Amino acid sequence: MEGIGKVSQWVFHLGGMRIELNSATLLMTWLIMGLILVFTVLATRRREMVPGPWQHLSELLVGWIKDLCVDALGEQWGKRYYPLICALFIFLLLCNWIGIIPYMDEPTKDLNTTLGLGIMGFFIAHGTAIWVKGPKTYITEYFKPIFFLMPLNVVGELAKVVSISFRLFGNIMGGSIIIIVVSYLAYGLILPPFLYAFFGLFVGTIQAFVFTVLTLVYIAVQIR
Amino acid sequence: MEITGADLIRAAALLGAGLSMGFGAIGPGVGEGIVGGSACEAIGRNPREAGLLTRTMLVGQAVSESTGIYSLVVALLLIFVV
Repeated sequence: MEGIGKVSQWVFHLGGMRIELNSATLLMTWLIMGLILVFTVLATRRREMVPGPWQHLSELLVGWIKDLCVDALGEQWGKRYYPLICALFIFLLLCNWIGIIPYMDEPTKDLNTTLGLGIMGFFIAHGTAIWVKGPKTYITEYFKPIFFLMPLNVVGELAKVVSISFRLFGNIMGGSIIIIVVSYLAYGLILPPFLYAFFGLFVGTIQAFVFTVLTLVYIAVQIR
Repeated sequence: MEITGADLIRAAALLGAGLSMGFGAIGPGVGEGIVGGSACEAIGRNPREAGLLTRTMLVGQAVSESTGIYSLVVALLLIFVV
């Protein structure tokens, strides 16, 4: 039960400022970026008409997400945005899956990762809106339907960031806490492997997909 | 043993965490049940679209789960931060 509230940190002092880095999150994020790099090298080395297993897997994934993007954003913008959405999905999928390996932490268990990704999605969506509609139309949309509803619209946009990032963080964090508590109660017998499979593989996959789809939907809402 | 102010705050925080999780779980439970039931009806009416309906159902459930997740985050804050 000791591992619940603990965050492993590197602390160092720089000119009177105390700097804390979450070591597990950083190391795991770099590890996952390395894994994605290995996967892409395996998938794109020796491309052929009859694909090998890695190429086939990556083509399946990229094609599926491209269809999703073209459905949501339309032909032109979907083709422009699907690399981003695809990268987001693969990164989150590996982030959530790496927790099933012992002694590995999910980077998404840290609010910094998810909030960072949520804020990235926010800026991309609003940047796209300004780019597509022009600044004037973009600003006047906040004063619809009546001008004094402007604060509500702004708060609504900010609440999207909070909701999307806290959803992913809470799901992964809650899953890991339930695994720790049940392992403590059942002395690690029988139950924990199934819980790892449920929270790591099933919930992890669904939450990665939900985060990706919601980012896509936020962009689509701004374009329309 | 004397009960001090710090003990009272700790007790109130733990009680609040339990209440937040308990009440917060009602809404997502009802919501996910409604979504699952509707998806079952839709699949019964149109079994060919089962894949799409299941995907939509899972996304809808994950979205309706978020209020429960907020209460979980509040409970964690009350337990570990207060």
